[in-house]
Amino acid sequence: MWWSNLFADMSPASFFNFSFLPKYGVFFIQGIEYTLLLAVVSVALAVIPALLLALMRLSRHKFIKCISGAYIAVFRSTPLLVQLSIIYFGLFGLIPIPRYSLFGFVDLSRFIPGVVALALNSSAYVAEIFRAGILAVDAGQMEAARSLGLSQWSGMKLVVLPQAIKNVLPALANEVITMVKESSICSMLGMAELMFGAKAVASSTYITLAPYTLAALIYFCINYPASKAIEAIERRMRRGDKQ
Amino acid sequence: MATSNELIRVEHIRKEFNDGEVKALNDCNLTVHKGEVVAIIGPSGSGKSTLLRCLNLLETPTAGKVIFDGVDITDTKVDLDLHRRKMGMVFQHFNLFPNMTVKKNITLAPVTLKLKTQAEADGLAMELLERIGLSEKAETYPAMLSGGQKQRIAIVRALAMEPEVMLFDEPTSALDPEMVGEVLDLMRTLAQNGMTMVVVTHEMGFAREVADRVIFMDSGAIVEENTPAELFDHPQNPRTQAFLSKVL
Repeated sequence: MWWSNLFADMSPASFFNFSFLPKYGVFFIQGIEYTLLLAVVSVALAVIPALLLALMRLSRHKFIKCISGAYIAVFRSTPLLVQLSIIYFGLFGLIPIPRYSLFGFVDLSRFIPGVVALALNSSAYVAEIFRAGILAVDAGQMEAARSLGLSQWSGMKLVVLPQAIKNVLPALANEVITMVKESSICSMLGMAELMFGAKAVASSTYITLAPYTLAALIYFCINYPASKAIEAIERRMRRGDKQ
Repeated sequence: MATSNELIRVEHIRKEFNDGEVKALNDCNLTVHKGEVVAIIGPSGSGKSTLLRCLNLLETPTAGKVIFDGVDITDTKVDLDLHRRKMGMVFQHFNLFPNMTVKKNITLAPVTLKLKTQAEADGLAMELLERIGLSEKAETYPAMLSGGQKQRIAIVRALAMEPEVMLFDEPTSALDPEMVGEVLDLMRTLAQNGMTMVVVTHEMGFAREVADRVIFMDSGAIVEENTPAELFDHPQNPRTQAFLSKVL
């Protein structure tokens, strides 16, 4: 057959040909650090805007509700790569950022646009997490607060939100995991995170496959234990509630 | 009683849900005087709870007025929160704040609203807890308490605001039978101490014994109101008769 020789040099071993590691291992170490930094910082930055968006979405004023609804719709219905490109070339084409390097390998002129794009994107998703968390708090809680003479805002701040935030902590941690994976898209704009590291190694060593296998293994080894840990915490929280 | 003595007056209240699809209250009128205990009874879905919740505007009436202490609180220009402080409310499902200790539950509103310092509020909370025999529970969380304890603490939480009237929305309906007594005892004590109370209840014995006046509601309307002795022993309206024959 014409194709019988096509994958002749693709032995199973080529998936795991990690001979590049001694020389290029540092790309992966820095890549992991960059990826985790992107994920954690962008979700952390997303929390406050997301809370605001969620409260706006639950507002009685139609206009305020619409603004938040539109924001969430736009960011959830367009691809992250498109958002990233628009923010990187558009927004930060206008705002100059000094070429300053953090820890020696995090170039701020790329990192900041990346983090801003991820945070703006993430805040749309986290807003929906918060909204669900707020709605999951029994309506009787707000009624009790109001019946004591507390204002809507006091009731929200002192009674409903603390309970809602406790309920959504696992979902928020899951969002960090999602971001660890999604942030790989930042490699397209030259951010030196894990996927970028794999690509760089592949192109400089001509080992096309194994760097990506290693990247996959690393992503898996970060995310799988993390998601299992979150599940365990969630289970324990639920048991605590029942007491 | 003299009209100067009146605390709450409800005038021609109507309440509709789902754009008029459900008519929960239809032209209800009610006056509650200071120091009076009013029990509201009636079948499920008759509008008892809706009427009670209209008194502190947890439900906004579709039409009609609620006058509290001489002020029309359905007027949107009125600061409702200021008036709600004076109307304590106790719910069927307690609605204690699960993320706060018992003491914090009681002191949250008086301290937040700057009516008391934390120390003053703590003192009052401990005194109230002492009175209901639960002072050793001050630092525990609601999840660790029995239903009866939760409801008594919910009552104390409302009392800590030093209200002029207490509204009870089926306070014993969610309780195990052996815990109903302790809650009713506390409510009885309150009534004896002259607290104005409006109680939506299925406890006919309690209504008969403690209430000054009993109101029977059916299909969103006040069908009959009278002293407990008269209403329970000589009901006038056939609907009251039918209801009482089933529950007594």
